[in-house]
Amino acid sequence: MFRLPFLFIFTGLVSFALFQLFSLFDFATWLTVLGDQPRYPTGWSRIHLLVLGWATMIAMGAVYQLVPVVLQNHGLFSKKLGYVHYCFFAIGTAGLLIGFQTMQVMMIATFATLAFIGILLFAFNIATTLIRANKWDPITISVACSVVYLVLGGTAGMLMGLNFYFQQWGDFHERLLGAHICLAAIGWFGMLITGLSYKMLPMFYLSHGYPVRLQKVVIVLWNAGVLVGASSFLFNGPGWLKWTGLLLIVLAMITYSYHLSQMVKHRHKPNPGVGILWSYSIAHCMTIIGIILVILIPFIPELIVQSRMIVILGWLYLWGWIGLTILSYLSKIVPFLWWTHKYGPKIGKGKMPTMSDLIDDRHVRITLSVIASSLFILLVGLGWNQPMITSVGGSILALSSLFYISMIGYVFAK
Amino acid sequence: MEMITECLKEVYDPELGVNIVDLGLVYDIQFVDGNVTIVMTLTTPGCPMHDTIVGGVRRALDTLPEVLSVDVKVVWEPAWSPHLMSDEAKEDLGYMQ
Repeated sequence: MFRLPFLFIFTGLVSFALFQLFSLFDFATWLTVLGDQPRYPTGWSRIHLLVLGWATMIAMGAVYQLVPVVLQNHGLFSKKLGYVHYCFFAIGTAGLLIGFQTMQVMMIATFATLAFIGILLFAFNIATTLIRANKWDPITISVACSVVYLVLGGTAGMLMGLNFYFQQWGDFHERLLGAHICLAAIGWFGMLITGLSYKMLPMFYLSHGYPVRLQKVVIVLWNAGVLVGASSFLFNGPGWLKWTGLLLIVLAMITYSYHLSQMVKHRHKPNPGVGILWSYSIAHCMTIIGIILVILIPFIPELIVQSRMIVILGWLYLWGWIGLTILSYLSKIVPFLWWTHKYGPKIGKGKMPTMSDLIDDRHVRITLSVIASSLFILLVGLGWNQPMITSVGGSILALSSLFYISMIGYVFAK
Repeated sequence: MEMITECLKEVYDPELGVNIVDLGLVYDIQFVDGNVTIVMTLTTPGCPMHDTIVGGVRRALDTLPEVLSVDVKVVWEPAWSPHLMSDEAKEDLGYMQ
């Protein structure tokens, strides 16, 4: 099981590199414009390049790689279907990005439909695999929920696409957008990251004998938060209902972070690798930011009304947590994928490199630090409305991200 | 038997960099008329290295001329625990109680 996850992860790496190159070439315009008003053709195109082309591609590859592992070698329902899914999703996403950039509604509609068919095929493949294996634990339940949210988020996106063409729904379009973001960004990515972390952290920390009850609490709170949040947007609920959704997600993050600490407390290996250490620290940082937000919003409701603040929060969540966590995990997932493919068949025939020999942890640490610092500079620039600071932060972010992704890509040459 | 154990020490967990014997993954070795049966476990159920390590055990033992067949049985009871590691492995990993 190498080619299918590899195909998705490789495409994700290419999309990520493209996103960074675009950022470098025209940061002075789109990055700063994005700070004021993200909803314009290039903004739509770039955000979907990051979210669909990179994060979702990588996430789908990770699911194809890790689900059979979690199910104890119970194979995927259909690898062939996985390749068909890839074709629909990759072609659909590429066309959708061009459609957004050139603002051709028919092109958006056609390629969004192809990408959505890809999502449905993925959901069918994973759902059938999970149902056939019938092994339900917090990891498989989290993956199942995340896939459901991906389908629901995609459905909301498709409906928005239809409304681009028919222009019938007026205000409902805005409500769909809120639900689309809530379901896709918080539901799909959030449930997947938390669920897969229950496998990744203990594996690399060699943790044993830790309690798992809180994993169920996270699932309940996260689902409640996503459903309350999405419903509040969809049915035009009052502000306090949206805040309640956020509160539930923050409570889920607190529980999740605490549970990660339980795993670390029961570790038998002090150094799990820089990628795992970073993912652990990022989760804690995001939890603290979430707590601050939940406390501040009732007193300063403008925080989530101003488009500039929404952009900052979007960057924080998408880049600060999802993006950095994916980058951190890639430093473990890609060496594992490549090692298994290249050296797996030779194991038992003498000494060979270990996975940690395939990537230099010191470089991972330094580059992740630069990425996180430049993201901070970018956010400061956006917050203070200082285009120069935003541009400097954005450029360093793009350059360091390109370096990081090259480092990950270089694993395939070892 | 000594020869089989030494051979199994060529099979490394690629993440931990420690061989499966020192990791305490090998529970039992039987050698009868050239037929080897290995009863072993992995550090966690649903270990991503399951097929790779089991394949490695077969390949390592296939190199011994005395071995006619290899049967590897992966069991989860008793569950592996870090205290099963050799002192050398514990030291290599910076084992924490």
